[in-house]
Amino acid sequence: MPPRLSVVSFARSLPLRPRAQSQWIAQPFVRAAPTPIRPFSTSKDSTDALPHISEEAARTAKIKGEQEPDLEQGTPVEEVVKHDKALQDKLPKVMQDALKAKSSNSTPPGSRSYSTTTVSRTGGDLGIVDFSPPPTATDVPGTKFGLPSLPLPQGSHVKHRYDPVVDQVTNLLMRHGEKSVAQRNMALILQHLRTSPIPTINPSRPLLPGAPPPSHLPLNPVLYLTLAIDSVAPLLRIRNMKGAAGGGMALPIPVPLGKRQRRRTAVQWILTAASRRRNKGSGKGLFAHKVAEELISVVEGRSAVWERRNAIHKQAVAARANVVIPRKR
Amino acid sequence: MPPPSSCIRGLTRLRAAQPSIACRRTGDASIQTASFSTSSAHYAIVAKKKTISTPPPKRGTKTLNVKKGRKTGPVDTGKPPAVGERKAMRKRVVLSNNNALEVPSLVDLSEENVLDTKNQGLVRGIPEEAVDALRAVEAFKPRQGWSLFRRPAVLYRRETTELAQLAKGVEEGKKTERRIVTGSRMSGKSTLVLQGLLMAHLRGWAIINFPEAQDLVNAHTEYGPLPGSSPTQYTQDTYTANLLSQFLKANKHLISLPMTTSPTLPQPLPPRATLRHLLEIGITTPESSWPVFTSLWAELTQPGRPPIMLALDGLSHIMRNSEYLSADVKPIHAHDLTLVRHFVDHLSGKKTLPNGGMVLAATSSSNSPANPALEFSIQCAEARKMGAKETPMWNPYKVVDMRAMEALKNVDTLHLSGLTKEEARSIMEYYAESGMLRAKVDEGFVGERWSLAGMGNIGELERTSVRMRV
Repeated sequence: MPPRLSVVSFARSLPLRPRAQSQWIAQPFVRAAPTPIRPFSTSKDSTDALPHISEEAARTAKIKGEQEPDLEQGTPVEEVVKHDKALQDKLPKVMQDALKAKSSNSTPPGSRSYSTTTVSRTGGDLGIVDFSPPPTATDVPGTKFGLPSLPLPQGSHVKHRYDPVVDQVTNLLMRHGEKSVAQRNMALILQHLRTSPIPTINPSRPLLPGAPPPSHLPLNPVLYLTLAIDSVAPLLRIRNMKGAAGGGMALPIPVPLGKRQRRRTAVQWILTAASRRRNKGSGKGLFAHKVAEELISVVEGRSAVWERRNAIHKQAVAARANVVIPRKR
Repeated sequence: MPPPSSCIRGLTRLRAAQPSIACRRTGDASIQTASFSTSSAHYAIVAKKKTISTPPPKRGTKTLNVKKGRKTGPVDTGKPPAVGERKAMRKRVVLSNNNALEVPSLVDLSEENVLDTKNQGLVRGIPEEAVDALRAVEAFKPRQGWSLFRRPAVLYRRETTELAQLAKGVEEGKKTERRIVTGSRMSGKSTLVLQGLLMAHLRGWAIINFPEAQDLVNAHTEYGPLPGSSPTQYTQDTYTANLLSQFLKANKHLISLPMTTSPTLPQPLPPRATLRHLLEIGITTPESSWPVFTSLWAELTQPGRPPIMLALDGLSHIMRNSEYLSADVKPIHAHDLTLVRHFVDHLSGKKTLPNGGMVLAATSSSNSPANPALEFSIQCAEARKMGAKETPMWNPYKVVDMRAMEALKNVDTLHLSGLTKEEARSIMEYYAESGMLRAKVDEGFVGERWSLAGMGNIGELERTSVRMRV
């Protein structure tokens, strides 16, 4: 007996979309992708246009010149009543229950047939850089080669050619104004991250939500670095206001930090923790080696930097009553 | 107060009780015992030094703490790394990166295709067995970029093809090819030597490599005069024994060959000895390592044996005085060390290899003492190659090592220039396929990196495309 259903044609009508993932802003490489647009001409639910499954299969088979399924043989009741609400109400209780159980597994009620999130803007799974196409020569009078398309791709501005996190960490690594030494150390750190084994994530120390799986990290060392820093970056700092609590006591006031400030705090914690590590070898790249080890231990949740972050957050929660909210006039 | 008469009596008594001046000088303890023994003073219980032990301050009280340097970082109290551990870490050679992606299109070099000109401009893998051999002769250097990729692979560049042509000539005509590998810094000189060793190994030659010429002359290994040599030559027994053990590991296809000569060695060889027995004598007893080396060489140069590849890195170290001193505290010239002399004789063409072979000496640009003789010889060789009518004049105000000049008189050079753009593209595609380079390798990108790398200097190319902070 031929298959009653053509699996291929059935599967084709299913929309296959990846699960929507929350967008992680710290992705270093960003590619502009067109957002899917649903034209208004297509209706939301196009299910009523379809005939019954057996009939559709029969029609497809007829077109393809294959043997049609036997329509006389009957279709399971579930399939018949699938799209008919009125019929479903008249089913026996057992079948109604079974239907409900099945539908609870699938999409929740009230969900739309189309995706409400944008397609992930990172290129592919590994975030492979895809340079934007060369600027198209537009007919702008007075320009010989046309105008470049904006925004300019990453690395095209000489002063901002590196990733912002890499730039910031390089500057924080710098001692006595020796930037090229700091840059070499930065390169060594990234190289160490690239060659170190895949980190094992500690579930009790969760990284940023939406972080890529750990197997993707070593091949993208900038992402690895960014993830380690952003994961332990504190949200606030405690400002002790002298004498504000009365009786000579200082009043702890939690103050929110900006993105760069948060990263700066985290990097400084990491650098202090790294300088306390022991040297294992000899030569030039020792500090870079220690910093890289510390970054790995941050991602794996072993670092003491996490305790520091938690302590600050705990203190901030305790002092949350002191938060000053500026009054609007 | 006593009467005056008793005072005088007292004074006289005091004088009688006073010991002689000599006694007084020796101190109080000996006065009491008045004997020639000092043991009582020795055995006296030593009074303990008074220690000022103040109890710690009570909790809650403030103490004045003026000790300086209180706030310096924590003192490292852990055990320091064991002897040699730091150096081992520094000199570690890592040849694989498990994170790097396997390159499916990578074809291994083999005995058949290693001398093929079709390889030119392509990246080729090194088979595992050859990796072991090259590792044994220390052809891989710790600072090279092997640790970034899944497994070792080399770019078959234009100069490699040139080397392959030379090797073909050696195999066909039993010639002895002698070359000095020159080129700018990071242009791949050591890697070209590695490629030469790789070719030789895959074609079944005997390979002997001096990975760092500096180690031969910097007086870090023991040395001794060679008996019966005039003028005195010096052997380096430990180094030679190590060289023999490297030979044993790297030339597994040769060590089962039977001995054809019967050398006189400190230890007797067993009957029906093979090269392995000979080598083992040299490895276990470093005193006999030099005679073993000479008899090994005699064996390898017998008719019917394979060609030999002799390679050395860091040529300028052995073209001047070594750090060793002779018995009359004069510096020993590097050419008076037996191993160095052996190499230099073959490089200069004074001795030839009867079964054919190749002698490669790479210069180094990052670790090389100033050597006017070597520089001038290279200039002359390049002028000869270009077909110049007059050889360059040498600077009479520079002190030149005449023995080095004599040795390098007619040696040719193999100059390494930058990669072509096609070669650069090929190796960058390999980087990208390994997952180390995260960019689309197109013409514009290759051109940009090629120019950034100083017109295709391969070391700089690797730096700009893989190692930089991108």
